[in-house]
Amino acid sequence: MAYLSTIDFFENRSFLDRWKAAMKGDLDLSWMNAATEQVECRPQNPRRGLTFRDLDVGSYGYTELPEIVRKNRTFAPRGAELVDGLPDLQPEVSRKSEVWAYNIEGYYEEAMTRQWNAATDIAWHDLAKYDVPDDVNRAFAQLCTFLSEVEMIATDVPAKWVGKLSADFFEVKNFVATQAMDEARHAEVFRKRALASGVGLMKASPQNEWSLKQLRDADSFAEMSVGLHLAGEGFVLTLFRFSELISPTDVDKKMFRLVMQDEARHVGYGMQHLKWVIDHFPEKREMIHAHLDEVENMIFGGGYATEVTESFIILSGKGLKKENIEQGVRITAQFQLKQIEEYFERLDKCGLTERRRMSKLANAMELTKAMLAEMGIAA
Amino acid sequence: MTVRFPSVEFFTALQARMREAADRFRRLGYFDTTFAVKVRDGGERVFLLRFEVFDCVDVREVESLAGASVDFTLEGRFEAWREMLDDIRAHGHADANHSINTLTHFGEKIRVVYDDPDGHDKLYRFVESIQEFFDLAAGIEIDYGEARGETGSEYFSSTKGAP
Repeated sequence: MAYLSTIDFFENRSFLDRWKAAMKGDLDLSWMNAATEQVECRPQNPRRGLTFRDLDVGSYGYTELPEIVRKNRTFAPRGAELVDGLPDLQPEVSRKSEVWAYNIEGYYEEAMTRQWNAATDIAWHDLAKYDVPDDVNRAFAQLCTFLSEVEMIATDVPAKWVGKLSADFFEVKNFVATQAMDEARHAEVFRKRALASGVGLMKASPQNEWSLKQLRDADSFAEMSVGLHLAGEGFVLTLFRFSELISPTDVDKKMFRLVMQDEARHVGYGMQHLKWVIDHFPEKREMIHAHLDEVENMIFGGGYATEVTESFIILSGKGLKKENIEQGVRITAQFQLKQIEEYFERLDKCGLTERRRMSKLANAMELTKAMLAEMGIAA
Repeated sequence: MTVRFPSVEFFTALQARMREAADRFRRLGYFDTTFAVKVRDGGERVFLLRFEVFDCVDVREVESLAGASVDFTLEGRFEAWREMLDDIRAHGHADANHSINTLTHFGEKIRVVYDDPDGHDKLYRFVESIQEFFDLAAGIEIDYGEARGETGSEYFSSTKGAP
């Protein structure tokens, strides 16, 4: 245990006297005069229910939250009276700009209403209706294995950061907690799909695991968010959409539609966070570019994961015959370019329009387009 | 009752069915987006659909999207939309080849047009709600204008019902 109580309550006279007095009805009641605002929040839209936006009032609200939280270094919920004796929890993130996003409260409420259940919202029984060829089935199982790995680390990363944020960033902490839950459900659904396929899990993916480790070991929330929310999940969002396209069954289509909803929400947070940073702290651009340099290197290195690329080729070509492979290569190449193009579109929208000319990944995209053109494949 | 596609009446019929299936859409969660459906056949017909909380709160036809605030537009030829709707009616829902994501992914049959990638991503944030909204067409008798010998170019040459 990293922290042990400095008081042995079983042997502490003053504590025991106070406890016995309370249990005999001698109440203190000083807490009833807490120096806090008395409010009565109501839903602005009854159909939407009582949302965080409805609670954005006075000292409880987030609109007036300062850039640097100096006062509350405890677990005290924002707006509660801070009294002597609260512990200094040494939150690692006390700057609003490191975590805040436009519409953060909206993303949280959306996440809460759009939760789903991997056990019951997927028609698992219907899988038996489909006669999927063995090579396609194995490729799909490999894809699910890879996605189980990805989503497991995508659970670990936000979960790791929740407790490091100041308690005053309540809406962000809650959103990040929903993200961890979403990703845990994704790891669950891909594991279940692989084990329901008649194949089981396939091979772990070393290059992808190194990339995922880079996300896990980020030194700051800002570095993590650029890597995870914007780049990692942005690429995975396009991948989920592509996977829906090439899924062999209606059951899988629904699975990918449900996971892409969650992923798109996380990407939305990532974009709105980056926009917040650029709008409020333009001097951080250089630091963001440095983070993106590393992230893009990681993404490009994902090309080493042949077990993933080859699965996509087989799934999109619908088999292993020569004509299937040719078709699969063409479709997979288009998908990979789409991933990169959408990543740069998002950065443009966040205000990082200069990224395209600075980025080695943008160069790689142009080279890939030229290579495909030589092969007679239109990008 | 038979309703013409594309028309305000068609999308209003989907809106009414969505209200009848309120529990299903409530289960899917908040659904906050405004998007356009553009159907081309010689001319074009453009419809705006606005969703809020759990409902479709507005359906209207517009002459063009100039000045309209939409997250994205689903744009395709009449034949592509018809193929999707016929598939939904045949199976009770879109089959593996006719889901909105599949039809739009590479934009071969129906394209997603957008200015803002954040708006584009809303298609995916709410994709299951959008899919289930279109799947409600399974219960609608659709008139494509063939019985009256009405050609696409005639029907599409003028925007009907636009404010």
